[in-house]
Amino acid sequence: MAAGVYAARKKIKCAIVAGDFGGASKVSGDIQNWIGTQSVSGYEWSKMLEEHLRAQKGIDVIQPDLAEKVEKIDGGFLVKTKKGKSLEAKTILVTTGSARKKLNIPGEKEFDGKGVVYCSTCDAPIFDGKVVAVVGGGNAGLEAVLDALPYASKIYLLDHNEELKGDAVTREKIKASPKVEIILKTEPVEILGDKFVTGMKYKDGGGVVKELKLEGVFVEIGSYPNVAFVKDLIKTNEFGEIIIDHKTQATSLPGIWAAGDASDVLYKQNNISAGDAIKAVLNITDHLNKTESHREYSK
Amino acid sequence: MIVIYSTPTCVYCKMAKDFFTKNNLAYEEHDVAADMKAREEMVQKSGQLGVPVIDIDGKIIVGFDEDELRSALNI
Repeated sequence: MAAGVYAARKKIKCAIVAGDFGGASKVSGDIQNWIGTQSVSGYEWSKMLEEHLRAQKGIDVIQPDLAEKVEKIDGGFLVKTKKGKSLEAKTILVTTGSARKKLNIPGEKEFDGKGVVYCSTCDAPIFDGKVVAVVGGGNAGLEAVLDALPYASKIYLLDHNEELKGDAVTREKIKASPKVEIILKTEPVEILGDKFVTGMKYKDGGGVVKELKLEGVFVEIGSYPNVAFVKDLIKTNEFGEIIIDHKTQATSLPGIWAAGDASDVLYKQNNISAGDAIKAVLNITDHLNKTESHREYSK
Repeated sequence: MIVIYSTPTCVYCKMAKDFFTKNNLAYEEHDVAADMKAREEMVQKSGQLGVPVIDIDGKIIVGFDEDELRSALNI
């Protein structure tokens, strides 16, 4: 969205293809570090940004839709969208962020929405009086435990590391609750159930498979970059992140830039992603000014 | 008739409700965090333990998908 605002102000003819606005932070209950705003819900924040974007003139917002494939063509690129649009562009900026990692174990898919939860903020109240497990000991996992605390009767927190990685303040809060049992050095093996989830098998530190009786599994094991649609054209690192030149945001292929969580930026933060996307647009503007007299794409 | 089963903290529920409001569609909302009966009803209708569940004249939609809602509502 930051890129869209800057592109409009630079009078670059541009199309923004997005499934949705707000990304990973949209479901955040409270954002307290968006500079200039002391506290805002992720939803209000995303609406604020979307309205700012839509107020711009001369840009084309294509939403809801998703870029499905980018192909190299003469003089630029062809972007094919999920809904069947074809857009020709001289340059592309990838700001597709990241998607949640799944456990990829038996039972996860079958019981998605039937006890397997990927939005703890949304669904925690449904597990009132029930036993649940949170998988993942990073900040997202710890926050899922906090979401579940007022409702669940018991919460197992499972992590593969020897220690929880999330913020110390949250860690202490969780450790102080008699409802929470932390099980470290574990690896989930299978989610069990009938109509709904009834249990989970995991391997403990010694490789022994154990079983927990529970009705909810909250999966919070991090995310991976959304770059499949462009991966064949540009270099990515071992985490799947697009490798960029951190001065200009340019990727390994001239004509494609990337910013935000889809890139190999060290810190995944809203403020940084916005700044990096702006940096990319400014560099794209320089590039177009040097190389082109016309700035447009055609539908 | 549109019925939405939601929780107060669910962003996708808010997105769905905003979508109805924007399109001048009346809806009935049940907060399944507070209303046990509604929760049971939702689970029974949808087989789901997740919100939002949207019931449009008997057609059950799970989650917020603007395109799916548009096609169910013919708008």
